[in-house]
Amino acid sequence: MKTAYPQPREDADNAAFLRSWRDGVVLIQRCRACRTAFFYPRPLCPRCWSADLKAEEASGRGRIVSWSAIERPNDPAFNDEVPILLAEILLAEGATLLARVVGCTREEIASGAAVKLPPRAIAERYPLPVFQLYPEARP
Amino acid sequence: MAISQAAAQSIGILGYGETEYAKKTSRTLIDLLADATRRALASSGLSKDDIDGIAVCSFELPPDNAVTLAEQFGISVSWAYFGTAGGAGPVASVTNAVRAVEAGDARAVLCVSGDDYDVAGHYRLMDHFNKALINYATPNGFGGANGLFGIVQRKHMETYGTRREELGRIAVGQRASARRNDNALLRGPMTIEDYLNARVIADPICLYDCVLPCPGAEAVIVGPLDRAPAGKAVRVLSGYERHNHPPGEIAPLRGGWELFRDALWSRAGLGPEDMDFVQAYDDYPIMVAIQLEDLGFCTKGEVGRFLAGHTMSFDGSFPLNTNGGQLSCGQAGAAGGMIGLVEAVRQLRGEAGPFQLAAAERGVVSGYGMVGYGHGLSTSSVVLERAV
Repeated sequence: MKTAYPQPREDADNAAFLRSWRDGVVLIQRCRACRTAFFYPRPLCPRCWSADLKAEEASGRGRIVSWSAIERPNDPAFNDEVPILLAEILLAEGATLLARVVGCTREEIASGAAVKLPPRAIAERYPLPVFQLYPEARP
Repeated sequence: MAISQAAAQSIGILGYGETEYAKKTSRTLIDLLADATRRALASSGLSKDDIDGIAVCSFELPPDNAVTLAEQFGISVSWAYFGTAGGAGPVASVTNAVRAVEAGDARAVLCVSGDDYDVAGHYRLMDHFNKALINYATPNGFGGANGLFGIVQRKHMETYGTRREELGRIAVGQRASARRNDNALLRGPMTIEDYLNARVIADPICLYDCVLPCPGAEAVIVGPLDRAPAGKAVRVLSGYERHNHPPGEIAPLRGGWELFRDALWSRAGLGPEDMDFVQAYDDYPIMVAIQLEDLGFCTKGEVGRFLAGHTMSFDGSFPLNTNGGQLSCGQAGAAGGMIGLVEAVRQLRGEAGPFQLAAAERGVVSGYGMVGYGHGLSTSSVVLERAV
């Protein structure tokens, strides 16, 4: 039987992000003082230390910067999904994050490839944002 | 952080110790730390009552710490340091210990590191390493450090054309040295074909890019050079650390070494070309490669060609991790950040036996670790020289 994925620990810093993802929305933060967009959720802007932060709904569009195909996951919950395709993704909004790319094979994934969010029915299986390839995207 | 010219000439490393490396042990972590400590003390010529400073680096020691370890060891200390820089901690602890002795905060410092570590322990540790990994990596099935460094290595390969055939020369060269080291857990022969054809762990990371987590401990004693046994003292010519550089990048192809490199060499009055050996933190060959670039052994992006032109065994053209390093000896948790330091001291004292370099007057030791959201945040380096 498949075991549950390890879950993030919700706290005041990340509650908005985690709850939004349950609705299929990726929330990033943008600093109102210096306009920097960033991930992961923090109580201060890592660039200028302002606490004046805005939650911003990301378009979900981005590009794969680099990736790894993990054959030996850290938790048994992932064992029947190998290889786990884990990517550094640069969002259109300028923030970067680590996320799984689902619905494609190791042969199909590539650095530079465009990604988008998967349909809600797929997204809601995962505790954190996942992406899928978006070959129709204009470069 | 700089070491003063006066400290570099009068304070340094007096002795070193290393436990036996084993794949499993029934010994406790305190016992492992005590074993390395006793060996280091014997090597230093000091006695227990001379030690009044303690620096410890260990992932599994908490809830214990430097002060409670002093209680376990029955020493009263005026200076206590608990490393927070992962595999960069032990090298940084030595720099800090030299400065503590110079400041008069302690007369002689025990710097010890170790863990009772194994493969399951690695995943357990990484899954709970820090808030960012717990919340934003573990739920992705990120594969521990392997998955993260797979991303780094692919980026280096795609950005600079670095090839696995080139990175593999690090693992193969170190294994050639390890074949002479009875304390290395992995001593079988390894060819570049073995490296290239090894099982995939986190593509492009394969089996021989990875370390074998194991139990063990390493220690050195820092104090006035004139207290060391005749001909055995080692100077710390310069030492620096840097954390979270560059900020905000998930998988940078550079680290804090690039910021302190010039100061490290100028303070030492030496350059990369003067080094008889390099002990670089080898959690993965790709990170050794990045250290060689950042420390100035070659320019950024050219490390593939640099490696292709050298052999990395202790008797090769570029002696690197001359006891086999973590890649062949095993990674005893935080002691992975001290194994290169202890090997450097061993070489400078002429005590490496079957893998002793013909000439070992000076060398550089580099640390790396504390994996955050995507890569190791901490870097450290020291330049060492035989004091006689």
